Amino acid sequence: MESDPRSPLQLERGSLDDGTELVRQPTPAGSESFSLTYLAPAGWGYDGRKRGLALLASELVVTGGGKRDRAELARELDRHGATLTSEVHPESAEVTLWGPAEHFVPLLPLLADSVLRPRWDPGEVGRLRRRVAERQMRERSQPDQCAEKALYRRIFSEGHPYRETGLGTPRTVPSITRPDLERFHRRHYTCRGTMVATCREPLPRLEKLLSAAFRGHDSVPAPTSPKIPPPVRPSPEVTRLMVPGGSQVELRVGGASIPRADPGYPAAFLANELLGGRSILSRVFQSLREKRGLVYHASSELEAMLWGGYWVVEAGTRPSQVEEAQKLLLAEIGAVAEEAPPTSELDRIRESAIGSTWLELETTATAHEIAVDAAYHHLPEDFYRTWPTRLRAVTPRQVAEGARQAIDLTRSAVVVAGPLGANSVG
Amino acid sequence: MSSRIGPNGPVDRFVLANGLQVLLAPQPRAVTTSVWVWYRVGSKNEWPGVTGASHWVEHMMFNGSPKFPKGTMDRAIMETGGYLNAFTDVDFTAYLTTVPADHLMVPLEIEADRMTRAKMTAEEVERERAIVLSEREGNENWPEFRAEEELYALAFRHHPYRWDPLGYPEDIRSLQADALASYYRRFYGTRNATLVVSGRLDRSLLRRRVGELFSPLPEGGDDPTVHATEPRQTGERRTQLTGPGTTPFFYMGFRAPAVLEESVPAVLLLDILLGGESRVFSASVWGRSTDHPSARLYRRLVEPGLAVRATSEFRPRAYPGLFTISAQCARGVSLNRVERALLAELERIAARGPTESEMREIREKVRQAALLAYEGPTRTAFRLGYFALLGRPGFEEALLRRVLSTSAGEVREAAEALFPGDSRCVVRYEVTGGSRGE
Repeated sequence: MESDPRSPLQLERGSLDDGTELVRQPTPAGSESFSLTYLAPAGWGYDGRKRGLALLASELVVTGGGKRDRAELARELDRHGATLTSEVHPESAEVTLWGPAEHFVPLLPLLADSVLRPRWDPGEVGRLRRRVAERQMRERSQPDQCAEKALYRRIFSEGHPYRETGLGTPRTVPSITRPDLERFHRRHYTCRGTMVATCREPLPRLEKLLSAAFRGHDSVPAPTSPKIPPPVRPSPEVTRLMVPGGSQVELRVGGASIPRADPGYPAAFLANELLGGRSILSRVFQSLREKRGLVYHASSELEAMLWGGYWVVEAGTRPSQVEEAQKLLLAEIGAVAEEAPPTSELDRIRESAIGSTWLELETTATAHEIAVDAAYHHLPEDFYRTWPTRLRAVTPRQVAEGARQAIDLTRSAVVVAGPLGANSVG
Repeated sequence: MSSRIGPNGPVDRFVLANGLQVLLAPQPRAVTTSVWVWYRVGSKNEWPGVTGASHWVEHMMFNGSPKFPKGTMDRAIMETGGYLNAFTDVDFTAYLTTVPADHLMVPLEIEADRMTRAKMTAEEVERERAIVLSEREGNENWPEFRAEEELYALAFRHHPYRWDPLGYPEDIRSLQADALASYYRRFYGTRNATLVVSGRLDRSLLRRRVGELFSPLPEGGDDPTVHATEPRQTGERRTQLTGPGTTPFFYMGFRAPAVLEESVPAVLLLDILLGGESRVFSASVWGRSTDHPSARLYRRLVEPGLAVRATSEFRPRAYPGLFTISAQCARGVSLNRVERALLAELERIAARGPTESEMREIREKVRQAALLAYEGPTRTAFRLGYFALLGRPGFEEALLRRVLSTSAGEVREAAEALFPGDSRCVVRYEVTGGSRGE
């Protein structure tokens, strides 16, 4: 596969002494920071009955570890000008340390202690429970969040991780105990995860430094992936959620989609970019905003993940225009699958997507996102260097086929949420 | 305590004969180049009936100019893989484009073409009216937006900081195309603009090209200085909103100094002491808005379980603005209880000030954040433009030095001056109702 010789993306793979996989990306030229992520198979897909468990674990991991409580950890991070954050997804959790490049070595123990020796401080557990309770309420009172949550429930069946948002319920979160957290941590954080580093240190030195910092990592076997029920075929009626108080109704159209490893992914990627993923060049933006002035925002996303995927088209409009906006969205979604796009349009979208990779290399944090993505999906080292060639090989006909496979309107659901009135969707 | 701040390498600063300020910051190893045009025009330059005009002009600037008919501007940038956007503030409006470095000339041509010749036809203004309204309506879905807008309306009776840059919906519905075009012609001109280019660039080639593109523009732009002064507040002002939401919260505002006032360094430190976020000296554009467990508000409100989040914010403005504090109650905790705890803490700071160890920690936080503040061409162009607009040459470096040498006593004095009850404005948000499926 031909690669772009100018590309500064230079992913390398290595491993720690205990076998933990390591992916390294050099810091962008001129950058004086580093990012280091511990990627664990610790997403909410592993919650079981204790929904919200993965979220609590991931957020508690960054509230202290080893001998440092939350305040001590925060002071030490501040002293170095660093941050320690976590994110949880259906399949994985990410714990990321970011800071000045010159402080890379002294900061490593902070990440290692947090990931391997969390404290589960009862005070922190209580504070986090209160915060999660507030976020659960937001999912019921904020139109965009209401719409998204309802959409996932329409397109995924009970037990599917993508059906959830990870926050658990008012019943499950208070029932999570310290032994639950410890068990989850042992199974999902002390197994062999993946380390991703965007830093100055060359690979051999990085392997040594991380092996030393994470020594004592009591590796347990990786958890087996949960059984994923098949997506459902949603019924055709529109879900309407009355959320009073605001001015705008949020529309969501979406359905289940392909995993990232699917060979049709490049074509599906371009189909989504064409539909709504490439901002002002995209069809839904042009149709709803530029031509008709119905919305301020209209876009689409394709989430192609490990266990499957989904697509969502979104827009926000005033209650009296919901019906018109919905018709236009559905028409644009259908058109991408029905007809191959003109070559000129496809070329524009494609070159824009390829060119935007350079913008990802402006800062360490943005370059690191690419490295984490590569590690997460086990992409080959040359994946991003050869990505332009693969995208350029996709034909207009393949884009339409990709849309039929990955953005299938016949298996989609429609949700509207907001201050719905008498004139809204029937 | 020493520190440094600024881009790697020298910055070329010059002014064209028509008054356009230009800053060029080469970063030879960068893979991108970022082009920003800053106008000293924001919602501060509007008046009742014309509120939201600066933001609306911002939208119109993407709707075509002589060389770039409607739709071609966005397309020209996006096809390179570049990114373009704009934002309107109370004090300024900024247009930004970041492109792969080979495509630097595209945004320069666009900015030169639309600086004074953006199309403002009645038809396009009318079409954009619906989009501008839609943007505002999207914001209205957020209780936090409603509360903050109300806070500024409560605090400012005379000064144009009273309204949000999005403008009043009534004005957006009624403003006519000729009035908008007139506002644009009045303020958008070379005298009010600063062009900043950062990233991989050939300095001499770029100087020449900037001259070719921007020197022919006529000198223009009315003085955007605001002469209105907000009358002194003589008693606490307070209001209550109700609506859907999660748990009750409040926004509290106190009279804060303008960016060039002497007390700004101490107030910046007070903001970090309370909320934990280093905003002006930050490795991201406006801080991270995350938890700061060592900050006072976290320790007094979040840690004991009274609030789920609590933060402060001081963004220095061209004119005296607000220092704000917001807190969201934990479920079952009343607004009164959280407010009492907050006021007790503010009294404590005004009486005793920060401890020496707190001062060491927050100064170090600023010093470290400053070291990474200029990472990447986009952030570099942002900071150069922001400080060029609000400060004087060398202002950022001087401000950093003053922040790092400010004493605990000066922070206490700043708190004492800032927090008296008769200059306080409070907006409380009580939650009603919820969602229901149909």
